[in-house]
Amino acid sequence: MDDFQTGEETAFVVDEVSNIIKESVEGAIGGNAYQHNKVNQWTSNVVEQCLNQLTKLNKPFKYIVTCVIMQKNGAGLHTASSCFWDNTTDGSCTVRWENKTMYCIVSVFGLAI
Amino acid sequence: MSDKQTSDIARDKAARLLKKRGSASSLNTSEAVPPPQQSKPPPPRESRQRHGSISTVSFMDEPSHTDELHPPVKLENTYQMSPTKRFPVSTVRHILKDVLQNYLQEERYEPELCRQMTKTISEVIKARVKDLMVPRYKIICLIHIGQLNNQGLRIGSRCLWDPNNDTFATQDFQNGSLYAVATVYGVYYE
Repeated sequence: MDDFQTGEETAFVVDEVSNIIKESVEGAIGGNAYQHNKVNQWTSNVVEQCLNQLTKLNKPFKYIVTCVIMQKNGAGLHTASSCFWDNTTDGSCTVRWENKTMYCIVSVFGLAI
Repeated sequence: MSDKQTSDIARDKAARLLKKRGSASSLNTSEAVPPPQQSKPPPPRESRQRHGSISTVSFMDEPSHTDELHPPVKLENTYQMSPTKRFPVSTVRHILKDVLQNYLQEERYEPELCRQMTKTISEVIKARVKDLMVPRYKIICLIHIGQLNNQGLRIGSRCLWDPNNDTFATQDFQNGSLYAVATVYGVYYE
């Protein structure tokens, strides 16, 4: 067997990714309340920071990061995903974050190269 | 053994099998349905809460399931540098439009219905895109359905991939009481 890379090194580690996501969200939004003119900036910051940290993991993955920010006013939101990929190497992680005024849902999909 | 017992055992076995196998595809959902206040999500494992914010994590149950029947296939070199068939973005966009309209045209927003609907639609879209038989493309379908209630919402995404071969298609839909945004990412597997 000529497996040069195995295990942890190349796997999609959910805990690692979820921590990255939480930190990015806290970093970008922190304690702010929902402001319409800031949301654009926040979504960009969240995905950008996530992607930055993910690249620093130096793993052979392509990443897709999506972020939804929604103002809290009683409206419902449902999101679902389904994937056609290699279950053994690829993985996803979704974090739902909320404060008093908004929801932020960040999903990361990692696809092995 | 009586008939009842046998059927019980059979059902049990089927349930276990199903559980073990799960679905070959991965499905995850998250919802931001507002109160009832009591049903707060469970506190995160590490309570690193600040500013009264809460976060929950969801992911596939078994990220690396092993299929005993099929040992991992050892792929040989193909010496193929680019896809033989590109991901057909406009066809996929038509599929999205078609599916969203078929399923949601007549619907009003109802939490339970929409919860099911997101799962159904994402599976349907994945199946339809899979049927296009684009070789060596991995597919990710993402769908959001929300209630129209004058709230602000922004969806953004950013990808680290090969812009020459990887691509996405997105389509939105709105009726009187709900909106939906569906996105399909096609990622070339080298």
